[in-house]
Amino acid sequence: MIKVAIAGLGRQGMLHLMNCNHIDDVQVVAAADLSRKARTKAKSFGVENLYEEYDKMIRSSRDLDAVILSVPNFLHLPCIELALEAGLDVFTEKPLANTVRECQQIVSLVRKSGRKLMIGHNCRFYEFSEKMKRELDNGSLGNLEVVTAEEVINGPFAHPYVPSPVSEWWFDPKKAGGGVLLDIGYHMIDLFRFFAGDAKVLYSFLGHRFGLPIEDTAIVLLQSHSTNVKGIINVGWYERTIFPRFNFRVILHGNAGYLASHDLVPKNLYSYAAKVGIKNVVRRVIGRKIAPLKYTYFYESYYKELEHFFNCIETDAEPSVSAEDGLKTIEIVESVYQASEKVNGNGKPS
Amino acid sequence: MAMGNPVSLVRCNPDKSELTGSVAKALELIGFNTKKKVNTAIIKPNLNYYWEAATGCTTDPLLVGAIIDYLREKFGRDLNIKVAEADASAMRTKHVFPMLGYDKLAEEKQVELLNLSEDVLRKEKVSVSGRNIEFEVPQSLLDVDLFVNVPKLKIMRVTKITCAMKNIFGCIGKPRKFAYHPILEEAIVGINKVLKPHLTIVDGLVGLGRSPVKLDLLMASVDVFSIDWVVARIVGYNPRRVKFLKIAMREKIGNPNGISTCGEDVEPFKRRFPGESFLSQKFVWDVQFKILRLYKRISGDVIPPFLEEE
Repeated sequence: MIKVAIAGLGRQGMLHLMNCNHIDDVQVVAAADLSRKARTKAKSFGVENLYEEYDKMIRSSRDLDAVILSVPNFLHLPCIELALEAGLDVFTEKPLANTVRECQQIVSLVRKSGRKLMIGHNCRFYEFSEKMKRELDNGSLGNLEVVTAEEVINGPFAHPYVPSPVSEWWFDPKKAGGGVLLDIGYHMIDLFRFFAGDAKVLYSFLGHRFGLPIEDTAIVLLQSHSTNVKGIINVGWYERTIFPRFNFRVILHGNAGYLASHDLVPKNLYSYAAKVGIKNVVRRVIGRKIAPLKYTYFYESYYKELEHFFNCIETDAEPSVSAEDGLKTIEIVESVYQASEKVNGNGKPS
Repeated sequence: MAMGNPVSLVRCNPDKSELTGSVAKALELIGFNTKKKVNTAIIKPNLNYYWEAATGCTTDPLLVGAIIDYLREKFGRDLNIKVAEADASAMRTKHVFPMLGYDKLAEEKQVELLNLSEDVLRKEKVSVSGRNIEFEVPQSLLDVDLFVNVPKLKIMRVTKITCAMKNIFGCIGKPRKFAYHPILEEAIVGINKVLKPHLTIVDGLVGLGRSPVKLDLLMASVDVFSIDWVVARIVGYNPRRVKFLKIAMREKIGNPNGISTCGEDVEPFKRRFPGESFLSQKFVWDVQFKILRLYKRISGDVIPPFLEEE
């Protein structure tokens, strides 16, 4: 049994907790959050040891094997450091950290510790991403020429069903580390790297329509080092979108064909959810394991990434998303911020 | 019981240079005039969330700017004007002002921005449908010479329409207004018993039905009830079936008899408005969540916290 602790019980941390309960041989034994309401909810999911502070949890919990970090960006480095010191394997939400320097520190700490670290690059775990990667590797698209990756949503301003304020740290550039480029662009850049390898920035634009000190619009043109594949990244926080509407697509343009994510996503998410839901009910009735969150199509990726992480711990394999992946992605993000700072002073705050 | 009041409808060009003229026309049509000396004015837009005016969710700062220009023209350059909004369950005024362009507007027009949740709050108890409801009411709105309500024209799943009277609900100082939602209609009527704007100018530049629509419409009246009555017709609901309007009639804060419209006809705007069946809207949401909860119980599957009700 892998014994896990969760630091941070916001919506994402809570989702990880619920997902862990569906993974064989994994038990969440501790959780930490400043919110009493969140801790009470965690208790209702069977978590026995609850803490206000993540550091106290990591220091005082015995027999822990791993920790899931779902804390604000600026806490990633100290949390990871503490967890690795305690000899734990770490699953952390993206971004790995806010700066290249912090990411380098983490990479070094992971190497020294010999522990596993995986970052929640959940977009790689979408069913369509996996299929696109398979097709690309099979050669059915020919040579890849251009990758288009775009996601325009509300980001931290997405209105939940029950209204609750946007966490204050999002409005603090030093804590958030950046805006939509670091939040959503990070995922799109990682997807580019997933399909086309490491890249450099050819062009970038950062927009500040909301007058915040962090960008809410980003358009980036990438070029892969090894293959010259171009990447068009377009991300924004300005669209009022309510799930299941999801303005997100990836297109792989090859010289023998193309693949577009929107052709692979179920056309009608409601009928898809109904079909998958019925299958899960049948599975449950006959005593088989259900496919958690599959009915939502997109949220399933959060289950799959955790399942992969715990599989890696069990089989002593390296996670498919490493600390180096986080570092390489942040290098691109940071180069955009630096370029923007030089051009118009709209870069990342120092 | 007060009789209904005239409601003006003016088709306007959302161009900055022409908006002030449209505001003047809308107010001229209803014969707006105040005999008392006006030294202070508070404009209350609807900034319920961090969504820009083009989404149909929030009041356009261009319109608020035009109203400021009109008021200065009418009452003098020395008129002390504040633009006010209160924190809401999910929205914080300190962020929404800069994000939606109100910081820039305040600087350009030399007006003050006021967070009503940080104002002196007076506890008021009112009875609606035999139920006592307590509100924290910003003192500034009670003391001001001219209180201008500038709501948005839109529909809402819970109350069918959300416009003049609902925007007054947004004045309540307590941020967690979601607490009133079990008795939302009564609370809307209750707060309108306490806070009575002198003037309501509706931002119908972009309306919000099942999707946003450019209506290029301004509406004005001195009576919130009359405005909402006409708005219900525009968005395709029978006003007599809008629960909070029915309660308002019962509580004698509004009377549909005598409501008249002037300026443009209602019909062309009604035809353009992308209405939504309240039943299907409410039904779809409610049934969706009931099915989801039932599915969770039977299958043991996960509902993402983002979609959960509690």
